[in-house]
Amino acid sequence: MPYARPEYLVDTEWVAQNLSNPNIRIIESDEDPLLYATGHIEGAVQVDWFSTLQHPLRRDFLSKEKFEEVASNLGITNDTTVVFYGDKSNWFAAYALWLFQYYGHQNVKIMNGGRTKWEQENRPLVKGVVTYTQTKYQAKEADNSIRAFRNDIFKQIESKKPLVDVRSSKEYSGELTHMPNYPQEGATRGGHIPTAVSIPWSLAVNEANSTFKTKAELMALYEDKNIKPDGEIIAYCRIGERSSLTWFVLKYLLGYENVKNYDGSWTEWGNLVDAPIEK
Amino acid sequence: MALSNKLQEIIDDIASMSREEKLETLIAYAESFPDLPERFKAEKEKMEPVPECMTPVFLIAEKDSDNGIHFYFDIPKQSPTVRGLASILLNGLDGCTLEEIISVPVDFYLPMNLQEAISQQRINGFVGVLAHMKQAAVNAR
Repeated sequence: MPYARPEYLVDTEWVAQNLSNPNIRIIESDEDPLLYATGHIEGAVQVDWFSTLQHPLRRDFLSKEKFEEVASNLGITNDTTVVFYGDKSNWFAAYALWLFQYYGHQNVKIMNGGRTKWEQENRPLVKGVVTYTQTKYQAKEADNSIRAFRNDIFKQIESKKPLVDVRSSKEYSGELTHMPNYPQEGATRGGHIPTAVSIPWSLAVNEANSTFKTKAELMALYEDKNIKPDGEIIAYCRIGERSSLTWFVLKYLLGYENVKNYDGSWTEWGNLVDAPIEK
Repeated sequence: MALSNKLQEIIDDIASMSREEKLETLIAYAESFPDLPERFKAEKEKMEPVPECMTPVFLIAEKDSDNGIHFYFDIPKQSPTVRGLASILLNGLDGCTLEEIISVPVDFYLPMNLQEAISQQRINGFVGVLAHMKQAAVNAR
């Protein structure tokens, strides 16, 4: 059974065959910001979720103008096909892809398996900075149909629409206010948003090589928890990166029409005065 | 108590660098980070794997005849930032006494102004590595 939108996913071999295709830009987006410098796919450029994609002052993403500058400096035109890959099962690759879509970039893909699979196949990694001729990229206005804010969450709870908590089960239960081994990224309160179902993001990928599970496996995973294709769904995690991956799975691998990522996630909700919490 | 001379030297050195130099230096530290000696590999296998843990850090300390403490790490090559940060601490503290190690303040990293190069979350990991090193030093055999 093919994925709903198979054009959003490519395999490592496809990338290897398209390294010098001028209409394609390969972007590495990692959790570890130094990993790119230790070796990357030939021709690939780097975006860092923190230093490239965040607003320098407030808690938000970079502005539309700043995004245009970043894309232009990476030699991306409005017609370029952008292929994302990264470490940790493509968490931050999905985050960067989501942000590109937020500013209206249409042609985006994820390399299935990310860095893990590329390395497992002993494919070459090269060092050095890659530069491309600067372009004049024009972004669209931010697409809030794929981004949820805290007020959307209050409405979601009230209208009993589906919320998916993709954190680990101990974060959902409130036993931990942060990820295992990430003690300082927490919130003052533990638990989850009322009505949210727990479907840890990691269940969508194969542990052995970081590739996505099959469509049949994914359908069973989400539909069994009542996350259905016609639902108006919001996914969240801790800072919005793991839920970007779930957003990608629901929207493009399963073809759900209406899915948003709540990037404020638990580090906002678990610190928000007066917000309801369940344990 | 003042910081060990070696750690102070590293901190002063990094403090004077530009953002790009800091990143290059972290990479150089990560690349020079030694592998875990064979003799500890069996102990490492006894460790519980932590699900969802982004960077599993294994660490052990030994005491020499002069009461100097030596650290041995295992951190995956896929996590160069954590390796680089641990490498700074290893270079700065290896061979120090228990007193010198446990007296390193948790805000020792502030003068390096690393937050212009890496996220606060990564820097918190730095403090985490130091805390593990102090604990390992206390338990050093």
